[in-house]
Amino acid sequence: MDYFIFLAQLSGIFIILAVSLNLINGICGQFSLGHAGFWAVGAYTGAAFTVFLNLPVPGFVNLLLSCGASFIAASIAGLIIGVPCLRLRGDYLAIATLGFGEIIRIIIMNMESVGGPRGFTGIPKLANIGWVYLWVAITVIFVANLLRGSHGRAIISIREDEIAAESMGIYTFKYKTLAFVIGAGFAGVAGTLYAHTQEFLAPTGFTFMWSVIILLMVILGGLGSITGSIVGAIILTVLPELLRFFGQTVSEWRMVIYSLLLICLMLARPGGIFGKHEFNILKFLRLDKKENA
Amino acid sequence: MSETTNSPILKTDAITMRFGGLVAVNRFSMELGSNDLVGVIGPNGAGKTTIFNMITGHYEPTEGNIFLADNNINGLRPAFITQNGIARTFQNIRLFKDLSVLDNIRLAAHYTVDYGLLANVFRTKKYHQEEERVKNEAIELLKIFGLENKQQHLAKNLPYGEQRRLEIARALATKPKVLLLDEPAAGMNPKETKDLTELIRWVRDKFQIAVLLIEHDMKLVMEVCERIYVVDHGELIAHGGPKDIQNNPKVIEAYLGTSDTEAEA
Repeated sequence: MDYFIFLAQLSGIFIILAVSLNLINGICGQFSLGHAGFWAVGAYTGAAFTVFLNLPVPGFVNLLLSCGASFIAASIAGLIIGVPCLRLRGDYLAIATLGFGEIIRIIIMNMESVGGPRGFTGIPKLANIGWVYLWVAITVIFVANLLRGSHGRAIISIREDEIAAESMGIYTFKYKTLAFVIGAGFAGVAGTLYAHTQEFLAPTGFTFMWSVIILLMVILGGLGSITGSIVGAIILTVLPELLRFFGQTVSEWRMVIYSLLLICLMLARPGGIFGKHEFNILKFLRLDKKENA
Repeated sequence: MSETTNSPILKTDAITMRFGGLVAVNRFSMELGSNDLVGVIGPNGAGKTTIFNMITGHYEPTEGNIFLADNNINGLRPAFITQNGIARTFQNIRLFKDLSVLDNIRLAAHYTVDYGLLANVFRTKKYHQEEERVKNEAIELLKIFGLENKQQHLAKNLPYGEQRRLEIARALATKPKVLLLDEPAAGMNPKETKDLTELIRWVRDKFQIAVLLIEHDMKLVMEVCERIYVVDHGELIAHGGPKDIQNNPKVIEAYLGTSDTEAEA
């Protein structure tokens, strides 16, 4: 049972990561491969906040404060990386962000105060499933509400046609940076929650592969769809674990099966599970009724 | 040269654009009165779109200055030039294809929206007021252009003619003083071109703005423009009313090549 709760908690953390990357990649259309870097900044900031400051307040207050601190730290990292990188486009941007993501990891690796390559130990286990899903709700509502207003539309317009957006009086650089900073900030929060779930952090846990996996979650669910990112994050967290339960052979081949499932899904639905659309439970049920009638 | 009807709203002062060794536009000067309808014509590759791109800030002129109502707008970013009152359409339509018709118009009003990011996320009272205002203004504009029934359609699903109209409507939603149209009749049949001619004239009168257009369709230009600038190889070769232009030997030469007698002379 504990294992399932742990899995649900991990899924929640990846939902935050996927939704925040979706804001950058799917909604704003800026191809970033440095998300694991912001995740790491948040994780280490949050962990350092609780371990070193050790504020005499109840655990959950400490967790919320460290989430706030990591949001700010990761946003600042996003700003520092975003301002030079966002002048680039497409593949070049992807490579530049990839590079910065690795730089962050290597800086952490060489910081003795947070354990360096040995890892950061002794982080209190403050996060539980409730706090993780509170932050999931905050992230999803934040992004969804943003998209319903003019500032969110401005971010979407950059994905649609940057030159046209600029010609319509939208200062695109500002909105690209904004999407990047907010996305990085929420990745930072996910990092803090992760640190206080695992009780241990190692720089090897934030490699470029993780940026790719988070990106996979977003693409699997559908670039630009928030509900898609949520489903994508759950599938890619649960699926590799689920395959463990199908006996010895399946378990041995699970990474192969997992890859094959991904390939099949992308062949069947190249735009991701939901494409650019949102899954709406009310619409879905109404549609059902019509079909039954 | 025929004089402008009133004080110039847009003025280019000997603007030059060089790409490496290539001079795309050489010392081009023009004036546009605040309610003028002026055309820029010329053969392919003459530098017409480069002139547009300089005026709208997509390129910064190598030399020369551009004035919008006496303010030098040289080197400003396109977004700020639009906010100052110059809107444009594109030669190959650049709508936000996967967004609704209404959202296309609302985006053009984005810079007028008076609420911050946090008001957006927390959906404050101000947010609702402003969204209401922007939406109503957008619907008003769509009504004028006969697109109000299609406001929820995706822009890419509109027929070609309506996409052109939507693009003009979207440019007008930025509340411009000057509207630049880059080959608005490209790809249109004669009937659509005729409607467009009416539309351009009507837009100018209704919104009381200046219109500058680039066009290949001679019939449209001659019919609708009060004054015409002719460019060839980046140089201004003629300027005047439609009648003068039609009879100008330099223009005929640029379009049809030199006649033998003139070549000998």
